[in-house]
Amino acid sequence: MEAAFGTRNFSNLNSSDSAISHQRWSPYAFNGGTILAVAGEDFAVIAADTRLSEGFAIHTRDYPKTYQLTDKTVLACAGFHGDVLTMTKVMDWRLKMYEHDHHKKMSSSAIAAMLSTMLYYKRFFPYYVYNIIGGLDENGKGCVYSYDPVGSYEREVFRAAGSAGAILQPLLDNQIGFKNQTGVTHVPLSLNKALELVKDVFISAAERDIYTGDSLIINVVTKDGVKVDRFPLRRD
Amino acid sequence: MFLTRSEYDRGVNTFSPEGRLFQVEYAIEAIKLGSTAIGIQTAEGVVLAVEKRVTSPLIEANSIEKIMEVDTHIGCAMSGLIADSRTMIDRARLEAQNHWFTYNERMSVESVTQAVSNLALAFGDDDADPGAMSRPFGVALLFAGVDEKGPQLFHMDPSGTFIQYDAKAIGSGSEGAQQALQDVYHKSMTLKEACKQALTILKQVMEEKLNETNVEMAVVTPEKMFQMFSKDELQDVIKEL
Amino acid sequence: MNYFQGNLNKADYHDFPQKTVSVNISAKNRTLYPTVTGTSVLGVKFDGGVIIGADNLGSYGSLARFRGCERVMKVNDTTILGASGDYADYQHLKGIIEQKVVTEECLDDGFNLTPKSLFSWLRMLMYSKRSNFDPLWNTTIIGGLENNEPFLGYVDKIGTAYESTAVGTGYGAYIALPLLREATDHKPPLTEQQALDLMEKCFRVLYYRDARSLNKYQVAIVTKDGCRILSDKRVNDDWSIAPMVRGYE
Repeated sequence: MEAAFGTRNFSNLNSSDSAISHQRWSPYAFNGGTILAVAGEDFAVIAADTRLSEGFAIHTRDYPKTYQLTDKTVLACAGFHGDVLTMTKVMDWRLKMYEHDHHKKMSSSAIAAMLSTMLYYKRFFPYYVYNIIGGLDENGKGCVYSYDPVGSYEREVFRAAGSAGAILQPLLDNQIGFKNQTGVTHVPLSLNKALELVKDVFISAAERDIYTGDSLIINVVTKDGVKVDRFPLRRD
Repeated sequence: MFLTRSEYDRGVNTFSPEGRLFQVEYAIEAIKLGSTAIGIQTAEGVVLAVEKRVTSPLIEANSIEKIMEVDTHIGCAMSGLIADSRTMIDRARLEAQNHWFTYNERMSVESVTQAVSNLALAFGDDDADPGAMSRPFGVALLFAGVDEKGPQLFHMDPSGTFIQYDAKAIGSGSEGAQQALQDVYHKSMTLKEACKQALTILKQVMEEKLNETNVEMAVVTPEKMFQMFSKDELQDVIKEL
Repeated sequence: MNYFQGNLNKADYHDFPQKTVSVNISAKNRTLYPTVTGTSVLGVKFDGGVIIGADNLGSYGSLARFRGCERVMKVNDTTILGASGDYADYQHLKGIIEQKVVTEECLDDGFNLTPKSLFSWLRMLMYSKRSNFDPLWNTTIIGGLENNEPFLGYVDKIGTAYESTAVGTGYGAYIALPLLREATDHKPPLTEQQALDLMEKCFRVLYYRDARSLNKYQVAIVTKDGCRILSDKRVNDDWSIAPMVRGYE
């Protein structure tokens, strides 16, 4: 039994001689939620639904999954809520310490690199969290960074993740990336188009995914700061 | 030298009744025995120049190193007990790489200096910091670098105090050199001019005749980052003095 | 002779996180499955206060083993707590919290545990214990008044936590929470009496449907006048229509 802890074999944690209960303990849960970020020329849109669920139960209809880190950077997290809470708390701590140590705010790219190391340092007992960072880079251009739970990351133009990530992504590929379209002109994405698109894809996701719904939080990052908007989604 | 010298100059963790830490003050005195080092910050970049004391013709002058690269964008010149600087440079390099590893950006010159200053202050009996010694370091450092604020020059002494300078001299010839720097320095100085002035001032304060083997010079510029001068390049500057 | 070799030193972590929670223990003394358990805990905010309720049954698997288990507690004059899950773990946790309250009282610095600070502390405790693979097998509901505002929060054994107007654990999340939400969503705040009546209704429905529940329950109430625990409350059950239900006979 003790060896199982050493190798982090979560499935063997339960003792088999229990006569009264067969509930299996797991250090993880999946609390759903869908997150999305889109980068424009001089803006970024970071959106997430506000539903927090577990199995077939909705814990709360009002838990925003986006975290404003600076006036240029917003983080969106989905996955196991306990890890999300801990990770964002560590994140806030690191952000504050960086500001004290280096007398400046962290840039989006520095936050992006730091998050990668934070996640990888827990490689063998990971934060079960899907992260997307959206914001403005050092040149004022919109940027999006997407992650896997153990810290692999990449800068992209748009990315959806979380429970309905696989529903949203192909739509974004088509509408923003102009994928699988022929004879179309690749026009730069306007803020209005991005906002309409974000609303549309979340409405669609809420139709199909039981872990997505209730409300949509939209963060718009421009040189003037972060504006937060709310939009209702279906609550069933 | 100090009239009030007493038993209070023994321990590094005992203040004298006048509120002084003698061992730290003595360490600062140790710098004044060291070879002269000069740093000048200009809008185009920073220059570091040091004197090498080649006390015997049998010394391989190249083996005396008093300017070191901390990271691609930061260099460091030193004066005093050069051996003491090794741990500090090690720490500076470690902190700079650590910062790059975590944040994927270059560490600012001030932050590197701060990190080394923390080490310089960690002397004492405790073993709080693995790099720290039981006594203060006997070396002063000039950190020259380029970061997002532009070219930067920082001076740090054995007490861990660090201050930013436009131009700074340390070591045995520092008094004369600092006065000379004050006379020649102006904000619109070019880097080439600064290099020339650095060597001119070194030449004035050095006991031996200045040549390309008994000085070291390096510049840090936004374009080419840290660059050591080769003997040929040194000679070109020396010719113009 | 040391007969008991378990690790129950409360001082080890009643002032957590200054002290690290012991990890050097074997599988024998970790709660990897619950033994005596309490079922649903319910909580709802009302105008100027919070109410938390739980029934008095301590189940041993499917056996209704103990009929007088008290699962709601007063923490201090502004904070209450209720717990479902392993009853021994709850009693252990209760002891730790009471020790914290005493410590806080002894400091006499004018500060006390607030609902939010207890909520945050308890989440960190639950999360760090789950991270050491030594969880406390409980889902807890914390309620209280902070700056005269009602507070109601949920913390489970792996560190999931949130605040809400209405919360429920276990079967209560499926059976009673919809009733609590119906009474609170987009409606003016409940009065204290309405909240009490709502609790009674919820525990009645739970008693009808949850096989691990009891018709005897307790509620803890916090208002600006302090907090109190109402014990020996009974659900007003009526089984007269039961024989008419097909399959019941």
